[in-house]
Amino acid sequence: MSKFVASTIKDIKLLLRDRAGLVMLFGMPIALIIIMTLLQDSTFRALEEKKLPILIINHDQDTFGITIVEGLKSSKFFSVTEEFIDVEGISKLKEKVRSGEFQIGIVIKKNSSELLRNNIKFNIVNLLPPEDSLIFGDKSLSLMKNPGIDIYFDPITKNSFKQSITSALNQYSSGVEAKIMFEVYSALLKELLGLEMRNTSDFRNMVDMQTLFAGSDEEFVPNSVQHNVPAWTIFAMFFIVIPLAGNIIKERESGISTRLKIIAGSNMPVILGKVSTYFIVGMIQAVSMLAVGIFILPLLGLPQLEIGDNYLNLLLLTAAVSLAASGYGVVIGVMSTSQEQSSIFGSISVVILAAIGGIWVPVFMMSEFMQVVSSLSPLNWAIGGYYDIFLRNADLVEILPNMALLSGFFLICIAVSWYYRKIRSES
Amino acid sequence: MSTAIHINSLTKRYKDTDTLAVDNINMEIPIGQMYGLLGPNGAGKTTTVSMLCSLLRPTSGKIDILGKELSLNLNEIRKLIGVVPQDIALYDNLTAIENLNFFGRMYGMKGNLLKERTNEFLKIFGLAEKSDQKISTYSGGMKRRINLITGILHMPEVLFLDEPTVGIDVQSRTVIMEYLMKLQKEGMTIVYTSHHMEEAEKYCSQIAIIDQGSIIEHGVPDELVKKHTGCANLEEIFLKLTGRKLRD
Repeated sequence: MSKFVASTIKDIKLLLRDRAGLVMLFGMPIALIIIMTLLQDSTFRALEEKKLPILIINHDQDTFGITIVEGLKSSKFFSVTEEFIDVEGISKLKEKVRSGEFQIGIVIKKNSSELLRNNIKFNIVNLLPPEDSLIFGDKSLSLMKNPGIDIYFDPITKNSFKQSITSALNQYSSGVEAKIMFEVYSALLKELLGLEMRNTSDFRNMVDMQTLFAGSDEEFVPNSVQHNVPAWTIFAMFFIVIPLAGNIIKERESGISTRLKIIAGSNMPVILGKVSTYFIVGMIQAVSMLAVGIFILPLLGLPQLEIGDNYLNLLLLTAAVSLAASGYGVVIGVMSTSQEQSSIFGSISVVILAAIGGIWVPVFMMSEFMQVVSSLSPLNWAIGGYYDIFLRNADLVEILPNMALLSGFFLICIAVSWYYRKIRSES
Repeated sequence: MSTAIHINSLTKRYKDTDTLAVDNINMEIPIGQMYGLLGPNGAGKTTTVSMLCSLLRPTSGKIDILGKELSLNLNEIRKLIGVVPQDIALYDNLTAIENLNFFGRMYGMKGNLLKERTNEFLKIFGLAEKSDQKISTYSGGMKRRINLITGILHMPEVLFLDEPTVGIDVQSRTVIMEYLMKLQKEGMTIVYTSHHMEEAEKYCSQIAIIDQGSIIEHGVPDELVKKHTGCANLEEIFLKLTGRKLRD
C-alpha cells in the first residue's frame, strides 16, 4: 500500500508541475464543449419537430371559423398567425406565402358557419315527412353553397405537410359539422318531443387514439447539450492517453523504469499509481465539464444540462469511463517505443474511436452499418450510458452492461500491458 | 559464506544475432570487495552487469548472489542489491528530497529511517542545502551524486554501478569514490564498470578485463602490472590486451 501511495503522490506532483499538460487536460475540453455545443445547437434543434408556420384569415368569426382556428392553434405541429386583413387580404396572404414567410395560408370564407347550419338544417328537414317540413319555421329553407376553406401552399411545401394540413382541416370541419348537426337534432327533438337536451356544446370524442412505439425502446433524441457535454467529456477523458503514455515512456527512456524493475515488487504499485492519478484526473474532468453544462451553457443561451437525481449511477458510470481511459493510456505507453509514436498513435486512435463511437456524429444519425461498428468503441459504451442516465433516467441495472464493458476494457488493457512488459523484459 | 557473487559459465546471446554478447564467463567476487569490470565499448560489461542485477535473463549459465541462485530467488535477492545506472534515472521535475522519498518507499523504507537516511546522505554528499530544488536545476556532478544516493539509500549488501563518475568534475568524482571505499570497508560488495583505468587501479581490489564477451584478464591491479612486463599501469595492460583499434 505504501508503494502504491508513494507512486500516486509522485505522479500527482509531476502532473501538477506540468502546466501545459494541465491546460490541455482541463482547458481544452471545456473550450470544446462550449464551441461544439454552440455549433451543433441549430442542427439538433432541426431534428426536433419543426412547427409549420400558417397564416389564417378568418372571415367567418363564428363557430366554424373559430373552431378551425382554435384547433390549429392547439396543435403542436402548427405555428398559427391569425390576421384580420381587409379586402385585399387574400392577395396579401398569397404574397406572404409566395415569399416563404408562411408555408401555408388559409382563408375561411365569410358566413361559413351560417351556411353550414343552413345546409345541415336543409338536409335534416329533407329527411322529415312533408308535413313536418316547416318544423323550424323556415319557409324558404334551401340548400346553399357549401362553406369553404381556401388553402394556399408555398410550392416548396412537402406533400406530406399538405396532406397533414388538409387532414387536420377535415378533422376540425367534421367536428364542427357533427356539433351543428347535434344542435339541430337537439332542437328537433325539443320541437317534436318536448325533450330538452343537455350539454349540447359538450361534445366528447368517441374514439381514443394512442401513439405507441413498435420497438422495445423508446427513441429519445438528445438536444445539443445532452449530447455534447457527455460526448466531449468522454473524449477529454480518453485524451489522457497522451500524458499518461508519455509519462510511461519518459520513465523508460530515462532509465527510471529500469531502476524500478530491479526494486523488488515495485511494478504493479507503480502502474496502479499512474492509473489512480489519471483516474482522479478523469473524475475531476467529468465534474468540471458537467458543471459547465449546468451553469455556463445556459448563460450562452443553450439549454441547461439536466443530470437528473441519479447521482450514484452518474458517479459509477464516470468512474468506469475514467478507468477505461486510464487503462488505455497504460497500454499505449507500454507498447509504444517512443514519445512521438505514443502521442501520434494515441491521439489518432482516440479520434477514430470517438468518431465511430458517436462523439462527433450521434449514433442515431449514423447508417445501420456504422451503428453496428459503433458498438465496438469504448466511447460508444460510455456515451450510451450517459444517454441512459440523462434521457431515460436509467437505474443501476440498466447501465450495468455499459459499466461492465468499460471495466472489462480496463482489465484487458492492464493485462495486455503486464504481459507485454513481461515478454519484452524476457527478450 | 565468503562469496558475494559466483558466476558459472554465463552466456548471453541476444535474439536474432549470431554473436555472443557474453561468452562463457566464470567469476567469483568475495564479500566486501570493490570489483572493477573493465573493457572497451561493446565488450559485454553492461550485459554482464545487467544479468547480475536481474535485468536480463542469461541464455545459459548460473548466477549465485550471497549464496542464493538468482533465477530462483529473484525478489529476495533484489532486496539485497542496489543499482546505480549510467543514466541519471531520476525525475527531473521532482526535488532531490522528493526523488529520494519516492525511491526509498519503493525500497520499502518509511518513517524516521527513510528521513534520517535521506538527510544523512544529502549531508555527506554536500546536497543538503539544495535538497528542495528540482533535479533539472542541478549540475552534472550534483545529479550523479543524487543518482548514487538513490542506489544506496536502502544500504544494499551488493552494489552495481555502471560508469558512476562519467562526465563529472574531479571533486565530485573523489567524493563519490571515497564514499564507495567507505561502504566497501563496512562490508558492502561493489561491482563497478568504468573506462577510467586510473580510478579502477586506485580503488578496486580486483578487476576483470572483458573483451568480445570473454574475460581476458583478471586479478589484483598491482599484481597484473607486475605480471605484464612492459606495462606501467592498468591502462597500458588494457591497451595491450584489447588493442588500439577503435570500437563501435
